[in-house]
Amino acid sequence: MSARRQALLLLAPAALTLLVLFAVPQALMFEASLGRRSAYGGIVHEWSLANYARALEPLYLGIFARSVGLAALTTALCLALAWPVAWWIAFRVPQRHKSALLVLLVLPFWTSFLVRMYAWIVLLRTEGVINAALAAVGLPAFDLLYNDLAVLIGQVYGELPFMALPLYASMEKLDRRLLEAAADLGASPLRRLREVALPLTLPGIAAGGVLVFIPSLGAYLAPDLLGGAKGVYVGNLVQAQFAVARDAPFGAALSFVLALLVLVAVAAARRPLAAARAL
Amino acid sequence: MAAAEAGADVKRGLGLFALGVYLFLYAPIVVLAALSFNESRSSATWEGFTFAWYLKLLQNAQVMQALRTSLIVAFVSTVVSTLLGTAAALAFHRHRFRRAGWLEALFALPIVVPEIVIASSLVLLYAALSLRLGLVTVVLAHVAFSVSYVVVVVRARLAGFDRTLEEAAMDLGAGPWRTLFAVTLPLCAPAILAGALLAFALSIDDYVITSFVAGVGSTTLPLQIYSMVRSGVSPEINAVSTLLLLATSLLLLAAHLLERGRPARLCAAPAGLGLALLAGPFLLGGPAAAGGERTLNLYIWSNYIAPETLAKFEARHGVKVNVDLYDSNEALLAKLQAGNANYDVVCPSNYAVAILARQDLLLPLDLSALPNLAHVDPAFLDRPHDPGNRLSIPYFWGTTGIAYRKSRTGPIDSWNALWDPRFAGRILMLDDARETLGAALLLDGRGVNEEHPAALGRARQRLLAQKPLVRTYNSADFDQVLLAGDVWLAQGWSGQFAKAMDQDPDIEYVVPKEGSSFFLDSLAIPRGAPHPQLAHAFLDFVMEPEIAAEICATMRYSTPNRSARALLPAAIRDHPAIFPPADVMKRVELLEDVGEATVLYDRLWTEVKSAR
Repeated sequence: MSARRQALLLLAPAALTLLVLFAVPQALMFEASLGRRSAYGGIVHEWSLANYARALEPLYLGIFARSVGLAALTTALCLALAWPVAWWIAFRVPQRHKSALLVLLVLPFWTSFLVRMYAWIVLLRTEGVINAALAAVGLPAFDLLYNDLAVLIGQVYGELPFMALPLYASMEKLDRRLLEAAADLGASPLRRLREVALPLTLPGIAAGGVLVFIPSLGAYLAPDLLGGAKGVYVGNLVQAQFAVARDAPFGAALSFVLALLVLVAVAAARRPLAAARAL
Repeated sequence: MAAAEAGADVKRGLGLFALGVYLFLYAPIVVLAALSFNESRSSATWEGFTFAWYLKLLQNAQVMQALRTSLIVAFVSTVVSTLLGTAAALAFHRHRFRRAGWLEALFALPIVVPEIVIASSLVLLYAALSLRLGLVTVVLAHVAFSVSYVVVVVRARLAGFDRTLEEAAMDLGAGPWRTLFAVTLPLCAPAILAGALLAFALSIDDYVITSFVAGVGSTTLPLQIYSMVRSGVSPEINAVSTLLLLATSLLLLAAHLLERGRPARLCAAPAGLGLALLAGPFLLGGPAAAGGERTLNLYIWSNYIAPETLAKFEARHGVKVNVDLYDSNEALLAKLQAGNANYDVVCPSNYAVAILARQDLLLPLDLSALPNLAHVDPAFLDRPHDPGNRLSIPYFWGTTGIAYRKSRTGPIDSWNALWDPRFAGRILMLDDARETLGAALLLDGRGVNEEHPAALGRARQRLLAQKPLVRTYNSADFDQVLLAGDVWLAQGWSGQFAKAMDQDPDIEYVVPKEGSSFFLDSLAIPRGAPHPQLAHAFLDFVMEPEIAAEICATMRYSTPNRSARALLPAAIRDHPAIFPPADVMKRVELLEDVGEATVLYDRLWTEVKSAR
């Protein structure tokens, strides 16, 4: 049997599964996005772009902009936290401890996200753990919960490992001789970081960036639970169309606009990836 | 010298920084594990160490059943998606396909598209195929969203892979399949394991997609948890989370020891313990679904009927009751509108009854089989959403009002209190378009079922003016936020506040003088119910005075059953939040479906919430 036939045989089951369970339903959704809501919350099939026009109204564009802002901030913070940790594991930790430390990064993800968010509420609230600790050392209490900072904490908490693991993977692969050469040639630590270490880990940064940015765009639990639902993000908006207003056609149109945004983001991440490969 | 010292400082600093990040990751885990040993039911206070919640967990049949379902779904979908995904990753690795762009997109998009969109698109697909919602549809959905992740993980590993090894095998005469099994697969085993673990984690934590495609007997643990959140995350949930985490840690520890070449005996202990923890739910009173036995499939809100009450019905009729839970009328409507659920009895609110009735999705009731309907207070019968009770019987009702911490606020009797700058930052409003706009409408002297755009526009202005004073919008565990001391005033529903008042005497509940809304949840039988006769028997059973009293006493919502109320202890019968006096009942209005105006309500509410 030829390698080509083998490859086709290996690919077919998964491709067929995704065709039936993903592509066909998405086509049904696209058709729905061209229709309108019936009085009882069903779908009236039409061929109209009205829902897309509505999705581009200033009210909803503002919500899209806000979501992009949150996702960008989450990605930047995850990078700032995860990069040093990944570097530490890759270069400063004895080999035998590495896999344990990596596992510890993802272990919290085997508990429900909702349950972990509620644990954060217990930590942050007015009479919560952190304020009790502050009071114990004689400091005043803060309103830590139900604000944008709390949303950011929840988001970063939820996405951190998705940044750390690809970063670690790219650091493992990089050529250590380049780092040594930079040190031998007398470059300062800061300069070595900026001109050698960061560029070399660019593939990891791009991959992690995509993996964090995309789910953050659709975030809705952290804004609701930790932010006190005082801001609307695309995730909440889409959720509300299906689960509250029962306006599936508009929800579908919104989500196709969101998917378009995501594709733009992925395309943007491709350029540093390609540049890094050329290096 | 100086450079070396600086290097050591950086090294130490880096280690400390990493320690800080690990602390950040584990702080909530420590909290949830600690809460599972807390004697207090509320997460607000620590009252001492106990194992009681673990024992309670074992006795909680619903949670244990949900855990079993979750493990079955996660296991099956992980195996299937790992097989499919690994095969596809190998195919991509070994062959450059023509028109690869489309293939790449097919495999990448499921990761990119928001979950809710995948969820509702699958609902459309299953409805088009008339597939019965249940375990199968849930497993298929989980496979659909995990395959792509497995492909990504395995491909990433293969990308840095030394092709010369495969070429060497081929040169030595091995065919493509032999090379695959003897060389390629063993080399990417760690990546396959990583992919499988990711698929398992995704499946066991999925809520959005599962909630849309679940049917009879497929309530998973996240569904159970979400439906329980209205009463706060209970210590039992923290206990089950801690146990799951422990089982996973043990299995990973075993894998770690094995990888480092420790003797099998040493690895067997953690592996065995971890597997035993996972198998526990199946050994301790596994699924009792005996073949041939008649079952009643009940789809209801959580905390709406006690297992002991269901046991009485099971004993009397020699049947088994299958309970699935939902947390919004919209979830129920989506299920019944798709037309492929399999439920015998459902519990829609009044406006949802009206929507279902107009779409002819409910079975007309045989009133002659429901003699106990005579015990129901006529005030709750023959309402506009169901004239003559042809389709539904009243089950529970309650009012919307304000609960407040009286030591902080003094007496409250008006919706204006929620607009009072003195309470800035101490106010909670429901996260619900109808209820928040409703309160503003009442202050304008309008009704809660207003459809006129101008009146609704003015109500929006009121809510915009109120927003800076609001601490949080919450319609899930608003009573817990009040109990925890984060807010002093909360808009919310009476049943949950009644429980809060029992826990804290400083909390008072009032239906404001401007009026308010009330809801009425009814039991109904969907068209196509497999056991309509048994469903009628169940409806009549819950209207028996003794049974209705038992349900009210255990769940603390208001029963519409007159005869049952007479049987209740005085503490419940005269509870001002559960059974408000007659003058209060005169100023509350039933919340009705507003038809096309639903979209306007949602838009105005979006404007309020997205305002800065």
